[in-house]
Amino acid sequence: MLNKLRLRLRALFFKSKMEDELDEEVRFHLEREIEENIARGMTPEEARSAAMRSFGGVERVKEESRDVRGVRLLEEVWQDLRYGARMLSKKPGFTLIAIITLALGIGANTAIFSVVNAVLLEPLPYRAPEELVLVRHIYETKGTRSESVSYADFQDWRAQNQVFADLALFRVASFALAVGNDLEQIRGANVSANFFELLGLNPIRGRAFLPVEETPGGERVALISHALWQRVFGANEELIGRQIKLGDQLFTVVGILPPEFKFPFRLETADIWTTYSILPVGMMGRGARNFQAIARLKRGVSPQAAQAEMSAIARQLEQENPATNRNLSISVVSAHRELTKDVSLTLWLLFGAVAFVLLIACANVANLLLARALSRHKEMAVRAALGASGRRIAQQLLTESLLLAGAGGALGLLLAAWGIPLLLALSPQNLPRINAIGLNGHVLSFTLLVSILTGALFGLAPALKVARPDLIESLKEGGKASTASARRNRLRAALVVGEIAVALVLLVGAGLLINSFIRLNRVELGFKPENVLSASLNLSPRKYPTGHERIAFVEQARERIRNLPGVRSVSFASSSPFMGGVYASFGIRGRPGAAHENEVAPGVFTITPDYFEMLGIPLLRGRPFTETYDKGSAGTAIINETFARQFFPNENPLGKSVILDVNREKDSPREFEVVGVVGDIRRVALDGEPGPEIYMPYQQSPWTFGQLMIRTEQNALSSANAVRQQIRSLDPDQTVPNSDTLENLIFRSIMPQRFNLVLLGVFAAIGLLLTLVGVYGVMSYHVAENTREIGIRVALGAQRRDILKLIVGQGLALALIGVVVGLAGALGLTRLMDSLLFGVTATDPLTFGIVASLFGVVALLACWIPARRAAKVDPMIALRSE
Amino acid sequence: MKKTQTDLLQGTLDLLVLKTLQSGPTHGWDIAQRIQQISQDVLRVGQGSLYPALHRLEAQGWIASEWGASENNRKAKYYKLTAAGRKQLSAETETWRRFTGAVELILKTS
Repeated sequence: MLNKLRLRLRALFFKSKMEDELDEEVRFHLEREIEENIARGMTPEEARSAAMRSFGGVERVKEESRDVRGVRLLEEVWQDLRYGARMLSKKPGFTLIAIITLALGIGANTAIFSVVNAVLLEPLPYRAPEELVLVRHIYETKGTRSESVSYADFQDWRAQNQVFADLALFRVASFALAVGNDLEQIRGANVSANFFELLGLNPIRGRAFLPVEETPGGERVALISHALWQRVFGANEELIGRQIKLGDQLFTVVGILPPEFKFPFRLETADIWTTYSILPVGMMGRGARNFQAIARLKRGVSPQAAQAEMSAIARQLEQENPATNRNLSISVVSAHRELTKDVSLTLWLLFGAVAFVLLIACANVANLLLARALSRHKEMAVRAALGASGRRIAQQLLTESLLLAGAGGALGLLLAAWGIPLLLALSPQNLPRINAIGLNGHVLSFTLLVSILTGALFGLAPALKVARPDLIESLKEGGKASTASARRNRLRAALVVGEIAVALVLLVGAGLLINSFIRLNRVELGFKPENVLSASLNLSPRKYPTGHERIAFVEQARERIRNLPGVRSVSFASSSPFMGGVYASFGIRGRPGAAHENEVAPGVFTITPDYFEMLGIPLLRGRPFTETYDKGSAGTAIINETFARQFFPNENPLGKSVILDVNREKDSPREFEVVGVVGDIRRVALDGEPGPEIYMPYQQSPWTFGQLMIRTEQNALSSANAVRQQIRSLDPDQTVPNSDTLENLIFRSIMPQRFNLVLLGVFAAIGLLLTLVGVYGVMSYHVAENTREIGIRVALGAQRRDILKLIVGQGLALALIGVVVGLAGALGLTRLMDSLLFGVTATDPLTFGIVASLFGVVALLACWIPARRAAKVDPMIALRSE
Repeated sequence: MKKTQTDLLQGTLDLLVLKTLQSGPTHGWDIAQRIQQISQDVLRVGQGSLYPALHRLEAQGWIASEWGASENNRKAKYYKLTAAGRKQLSAETETWRRFTGAVELILKTS
């Protein structure tokens, strides 16, 4: 064994020495034979030729002797690589086009795979992530669907279940952290004490929460993220045990979380963590569903078993607490699946699209190779005649293909490295785990694998074709065997038809998204978002205990900001459009059934009276709010069109009263007389139908939070700083987070659609371009190959126009088949993206028609230049050329 | 076409080469000559198969080679049997004997 290895290594590394030795050995043998022959009485010439004859082919013997060294394959591969590289560098045009084509395909695949891998394939970065499930509430009635969980229910679940090893609670929160003299709004969370232990996470400094720290009244403690520790506290090692100021309270920092810890549930950055012990008691009741629950299944317990047990617990809780838990069921879902459900369709769709792009790239390169194989036919025939086996030639060609694919893959990797940041900049906020996206080992292996497969895919057909060369036919001068070329032509035609079909499917997909996007942007908003800045105010009851104080503060702030240059008007509302809102159940005076029993919870907003005018929302009936309300005055409300249509279908809503329990002040009204009806607006999404809404005047319902909306002369964002300064000069505790223009908020709401559209659009464009190049290449080749035939036709009297028609006709015939196949494929495949469309059906005839005719034009373009070249063929030259 | 024939002969050739080398190291030409002489010209070893066979046997570790001076004082490659080769020789001899014996038995019956 060792001996063998030694010999092989020697053969590999001392190749020339081994060759010399083989030469020497053979020479010795021949000389000895010649001597012997001379001794037998032959002349030296006779002796030599006799010896040569008896030896057989000297080179063949040497070759066979080399074979047994067992390094032949390695040697051959090396040889093929060098030879391949030489051949490729001899045709830089061909090589460049092939490599760029492949790089586009492989690069797009790498980039999308890096997203698919991080978002869909990688397990969550916690201990035994497959055991993690989210436990949520589901209302069994249609309409509203809340998935949040209350603290009281959570305590019962924790006590009663037998299926979870542990169950934890978390809730997104926001903290005003004192940094020097300034305040900074920091995202964070309130959790149960076992949260980090459940995920299997240990702080890198200090400790996690202790169970006792869950109960209210104890010392206030916090954990902070590694990023915050670095950024704000300069990685101070002595921070543990020190106090930081959050809002108006001091918290002791007990631990720092590891840098790689990312909290994936919608909230990508959470930098400050406290237990829920700091929350007001009102938030902990059974009806107050403010939390999310995450659990770790006991080993061996399936999610289905957990679901069964939790359903039983839900039924029991429903019986014990009919007031709060009626129609409440529980769903147990895999944390990973729940996290990715919004985006998995999009990502798989994009992954399919890039696979299509790669197929098109493969078809193009295969076509290039086939065309080149023809011109290399003689080279191959010579090699075969010199003793190369079919396998050997195929191996050579395959090596060249892999070399091309490798180069394409390397360039594709560069493209991906450059494209991934662009892609992330474009990505919507609902893309979870975005910070895990990048080129890592998995992605690199994927690229390598794809490159090899690609090389094999486009290299195999030409390699197999050439592996069985017809020697005699090929060696004959001008041996373009007409039958062989016909067969190859069919293969090339099939490749072109295939790529047209695939590109058409891509383009139809992109077309449908473009169509949806246009419709989405044409949606009537119902208000005028231009040049409106929205800035958050936090009127915490600790600082502003009475409604009167809050109203006064809001008025002061509005007054100050109104005096800023360029500001037209300022109003205040509990939330801006595209920022969500509060939904509450209600009742109607004089109708059966008490309040809170309606299945639909309308959006409830408290606004200053100028709100509708400022946003350009039309008042359809009744009157606007009056500017002032006395203490204890009767409640008034304005409803939107949908509310009126839904709850007062055949009657005048004006003068009717709605009952709403949304105010905390004792002297605030509970019953509101409808005084007006306003137009509907799009509230949360452009593709969401408006729901019923109720507006109340802020003076009667002074809530503790809201948005100042400032309409400016121009560019609202530029006044953001001045607005913040004015607010902070009134109250230094205000952090004024979430300052943004309404236009930006709307823009961000369609980020997911834009992401899909841009990516699919780019991929479809690449596909179309590659197809254009592919059709052009095949038609050019077709013309070049048939120059002689065209020459004969011209010699026999064909006109230029006839030749043009002939070539363009042949090209268009191919395109037509491709388009028909593609349309059929698109009909089948676009149904998968139905849920991503808006306002168009998956089989929108207009989109299909436009794309199909676009392909006709593209095919015509691609055929035109070759056809003109054919029409210019000079019969004298053409007939002499071969 | 030719290949089947070579395959058939291969095992035999290996055995003959090993046997020839049992009497001491020698070079390729001499091996061919000896096989021809001892078999009284019945067996002729084509050089075309001899050298590949020698290299194969060497690769398998049954024979080893070194450069030496030939009987007329020229540089020649000498092959000698290794310990493994000796074992292989006796094993192959045994197989061969059994094989020819069996063929012989069958031939006698008819």
